[in-house]
Amino acid sequence: MNEPDPDVELLARIGHNEPAAIEEMVKRKLPRLLALASRLLGDAEEAKDVAQESFLRIWKHAADWRTGQARFDTWLHRVTLNLCHDRLRRRKAQPLADEDQTSELADTAPRPDEQLEAAAQSRQVADALAALPDRQREAIVLQYYQGLSNIEAAALLNISVEALESLLSRARRTLRNTLAAHRGDARPGGGQ
Amino acid sequence: MTPHRFTELAEAYGGDLQRWPSAERDAAQALLASGDSTLNAVLREASWLDGQLDGHQLPAVSPQLMRQIVADAREERSFWARSFSWLFGASFVGVGVAGIAAGILVASLTLPLAVEHEALPNVFDSGDGDVVFNLDAAEETPQ
Repeated sequence: MNEPDPDVELLARIGHNEPAAIEEMVKRKLPRLLALASRLLGDAEEAKDVAQESFLRIWKHAADWRTGQARFDTWLHRVTLNLCHDRLRRRKAQPLADEDQTSELADTAPRPDEQLEAAAQSRQVADALAALPDRQREAIVLQYYQGLSNIEAAALLNISVEALESLLSRARRTLRNTLAAHRGDARPGGGQ
Repeated sequence: MTPHRFTELAEAYGGDLQRWPSAERDAAQALLASGDSTLNAVLREASWLDGQLDGHQLPAVSPQLMRQIVADAREERSFWARSFSWLFGASFVGVGVAGIAAGILVASLTLPLAVEHEALPNVFDSGDGDVVFNLDAAEETPQ
């Protein structure tokens, strides 16, 4: 955490209204934010909305950003996480809104066989992630997919590192069992 | 680092030691180098799940979305710039009006009453001018 924040210089340039800095920030952060929101929400369109809202927060705060508390990337994850929480809460309040949310992530264009198989496997992983309890899904998305440190991920979830490890272990156990069942238990030591 | 803790870490963070907590990585590497084959099996099983998770594909970021977000940024920043300009302009006009009012007040207090209606800037309507003129006339009328 003592390492210099790699985003601070870019934020200062945005504060000085440099158009190139705005584009660079979008290129740097959009894929990460979109991946986070897509995996948490399982809905590509909602993920795009969340990414756009997250960027509006960036533009509002860039000029006033002060180093010393959280890294900018961690703050951005918190913003996106909160926006996803809002949408998940609304979704739970309207449980019949849409049954097959993860399907929107899949590209339905015709593909060669290998790509079709990869798309099918991707769908299975998406479904397995979507079936996890919210907190377990958040833990695995933040730590594994977003590559945050255990300390950062635990702080974002407002839990201890030990509690994070517990969430991760339970998530990975469930995912392993679900995906092994799809693959005919092809995992190492899985009995195939 | 014990084999039990090594297994706990693999079950939580996966089969790639680079993803493990930095404080425990070296000790885990040293334990692995000791040649305990069960630890390699633990890592293989964790790595299998990593491979499955890596198979989760996301659509590429669309250039249209990138353009939209950049456009939003320009709109957002120009909104604040416009707001700032408006506030700055409004405050400038306010200072100007206050200055004129102060000037009028000073003029009304220092100039002789007889020439007051000539010295006043044309900010009063004619009705106010008549009142001033009539007062002057009344004072000069011999009783």
